[in-house]
Amino acid sequence: MDLRFSAEDEAYRQRLRDWLKENLGAATGAGGSANAAMKRAEEGSGGKSDPLAGARAWPRKLQEAGYVGLAWPKKYGGQEASFTQQVICADEMARVRTPPLINTIGLSIIGPTLVQHGTEEQKQRFLPRILRADDLWCQGFSEPEAGSDLASLRCRAELDGDEFVVNGQKVWTSLAFLSDWMFLLVRTDPDAPKREGISYLLLDMKTPGITVRPLRNAAGGQHFSEVFLDGVRIPRENLVGELNGGWSIARSSLDHERSGLSGVVALEETLGRLWRMAGKVQRGDAEALGDQATSRALAQHWIEIEGLRHLGYRTLSDQIAGKPPGAGASVGKLFASELRQEMTRTALRVEGPLGPVAKRSPHVVDRGRWHAAYFDALAHSIGGGTSEIMRNVIAEKVLGLPHAKDD
Amino acid sequence: MDFNLSEEQEALQEMARGFLSERWPAERVRELLDARPVLIDDDVWKEIVEMGWLGVAASEEAGGIGGDVMTAAVLCQEAGRGVLPGPFQSSLVAAIAIERSGDKDLCSGLLPGLIEGKRRVSVAIEEPGGLYGPDAVRTEARAAGEDWLLTGNKILVPEGNEAEHLLVAARTPDGLGLVRVAADAEGATTTRMDRMDGQSCAALVFEDAKAEAGALLGGADRGEALLREVYDIWTALVAADLLGSAEASLELTRSYATERVQFGRPIGSFQAVSHRLADTLVDVEIGRSLLYGACLALDEGRDNAAPLVSAAKAWLSETAVAAAEAALQIHGGVGFTWEYDVHLHLRRSRCNAALLGDADHHRDRVAAYMEQSWVPLVKA
Repeated sequence: MDLRFSAEDEAYRQRLRDWLKENLGAATGAGGSANAAMKRAEEGSGGKSDPLAGARAWPRKLQEAGYVGLAWPKKYGGQEASFTQQVICADEMARVRTPPLINTIGLSIIGPTLVQHGTEEQKQRFLPRILRADDLWCQGFSEPEAGSDLASLRCRAELDGDEFVVNGQKVWTSLAFLSDWMFLLVRTDPDAPKREGISYLLLDMKTPGITVRPLRNAAGGQHFSEVFLDGVRIPRENLVGELNGGWSIARSSLDHERSGLSGVVALEETLGRLWRMAGKVQRGDAEALGDQATSRALAQHWIEIEGLRHLGYRTLSDQIAGKPPGAGASVGKLFASELRQEMTRTALRVEGPLGPVAKRSPHVVDRGRWHAAYFDALAHSIGGGTSEIMRNVIAEKVLGLPHAKDD
Repeated sequence: MDFNLSEEQEALQEMARGFLSERWPAERVRELLDARPVLIDDDVWKEIVEMGWLGVAASEEAGGIGGDVMTAAVLCQEAGRGVLPGPFQSSLVAAIAIERSGDKDLCSGLLPGLIEGKRRVSVAIEEPGGLYGPDAVRTEARAAGEDWLLTGNKILVPEGNEAEHLLVAARTPDGLGLVRVAADAEGATTTRMDRMDGQSCAALVFEDAKAEAGALLGGADRGEALLREVYDIWTALVAADLLGSAEASLELTRSYATERVQFGRPIGSFQAVSHRLADTLVDVEIGRSLLYGACLALDEGRDNAAPLVSAAKAWLSETAVAAAEAALQIHGGVGFTWEYDVHLHLRRSRCNAALLGDADHHRDRVAAYMEQSWVPLVKA
């Protein structure tokens, strides 16, 4: 048993640290934060040719230095880096809080899916553009009648010569209004059993017949949209995998989860903020951190984060040894999303009577960051597979319990 | 980077699991529960000694197999899973304490006898008063000429009734330490305490009980560090036992929920059942990860070993009990019968959850570490 990294990996870490020290300031200082740019684009302000130019600058810098597409083949602009280097990279970036990447859906979902299942033409056409943030992608999976029961989706695609004609509706589509492309699941055989009549398509968002209607979320923001598809034509060459073979590809793209170690750093940072806040908030004549209920709650979060970190080490070790990731990925996702929520609940409790004060109020605690964190955390046990679905997966795939209900 | 058990550790685990399932059926524990105390039978003890389990963490010079805390934890985990009682764990801990004291006489005399299963030694840390751990120790050891005189009370001393020597946590003029006392020393009284799982433990009273010169393990310089190290290692081994219990409860329930049919379906297909088991699995995997982290930190002598040990103990104390309670609930009526093994794991995990500090005690240790040494990622 050994948690040390090799000298080669440590050298890689040092080079990355040096690079980040030199380049990170420019990325955050140039008004290029992806969030700010997305907001500007959302509001339609700016009127510049590319309102996202600032947000694209950082991922491009990373791409030029070889710090994105780590797992992808070199042939398509990837790095073919080891698992360990992928973990070191995610860890170091989280540690210095690099800005969020505007092309993250491309990098983490559709990119790896195309590497695994795409045709040679698809790989050459799309992968380098994802790495450079030339194309932004959104995911068209969920529908009004197909949420957790994704396989019951209805959005219909019929072959007409060399084109699919698509009619239907997608929902909860993150960043649809900014995206150049969408990867979507459609029903191509309505008579087959539901998992066997689904295909995986790539859609150019400039195609006629697409209507994007932003949805305001519970936190007040406009992060996701409804997308209506009305007679939208998609060339057959944009089919990923076999016709009617889309379900297993979608499942594998949901499995593209890594060891989860970068998520640990984010939670650790949240605990640091929580700790600092508890040291300032008043509780009678002392600060909240001085009471046992608070210090124990924060200690419990420290314990939980260490548990997740060491689970990540186990998952990584399995990956390095070429073993299947085992229970690690689904266990980690479920535990991390629940922990994240629990930490924000603790934060609101520690804030005490001032916890509910609105963000714009002069009386607000910690600039109101915990309200946003709380709402955001609540979304995390829904998006990307609800916690209930995660429990189903663990019950069936890990524990081998009988399937809940089959149809 | 390889944060998994080594091939040797995996082989040891498999061998131990096979041995216990064959030679130590749960049925034997049930019988002994009616004729307390629950102790390992002599013939099984002999085999355990022959396999070298008591020396698993001791050097080869001392007759051990030169393993580390992680390897010892693998065996304790299997003991928990297979409801193996004392004096296995207490002997293992005593051997670790003696070897780490570096006392040449003990290492060449008492230690080999202990590892060969001929001598019995136990460790006494806990005291009455409702608190846990070395900092709550009030027992005093004062020097009387060359010798030591010990005064105070100890509780929950594992196999304290069967031990020939006791390593007693006490306050000396130079700080805390472990003082070796003969169980039959003048001024030492041993009375039986029973654990809910039937395992043997003792309450000790010392009234100017005499210990010989050199009885302070590690001497004045290293005495306190040694006591704290032994407490951390023992706590990790109790956490390992809890992990084994939790695994056993989960496995019993998993197989029952797969077979038991109600409303025309296996009950494991109902989400009220399967989700509770999924949550248990998550907690068990987090607990296993914490335990490995704690053992590795102990073996590498890292600064954060003590809080990681506390993390593992706090987490697994709650997880093992919750897993046993879930097992009892999901088994329904039969889970509440004497004949099913569920209550054996519930009893054992309840006892171990409180041994050497409950979850709150260990959360407080983590909180103290955070206060003193933790460096948050976000600076003030």
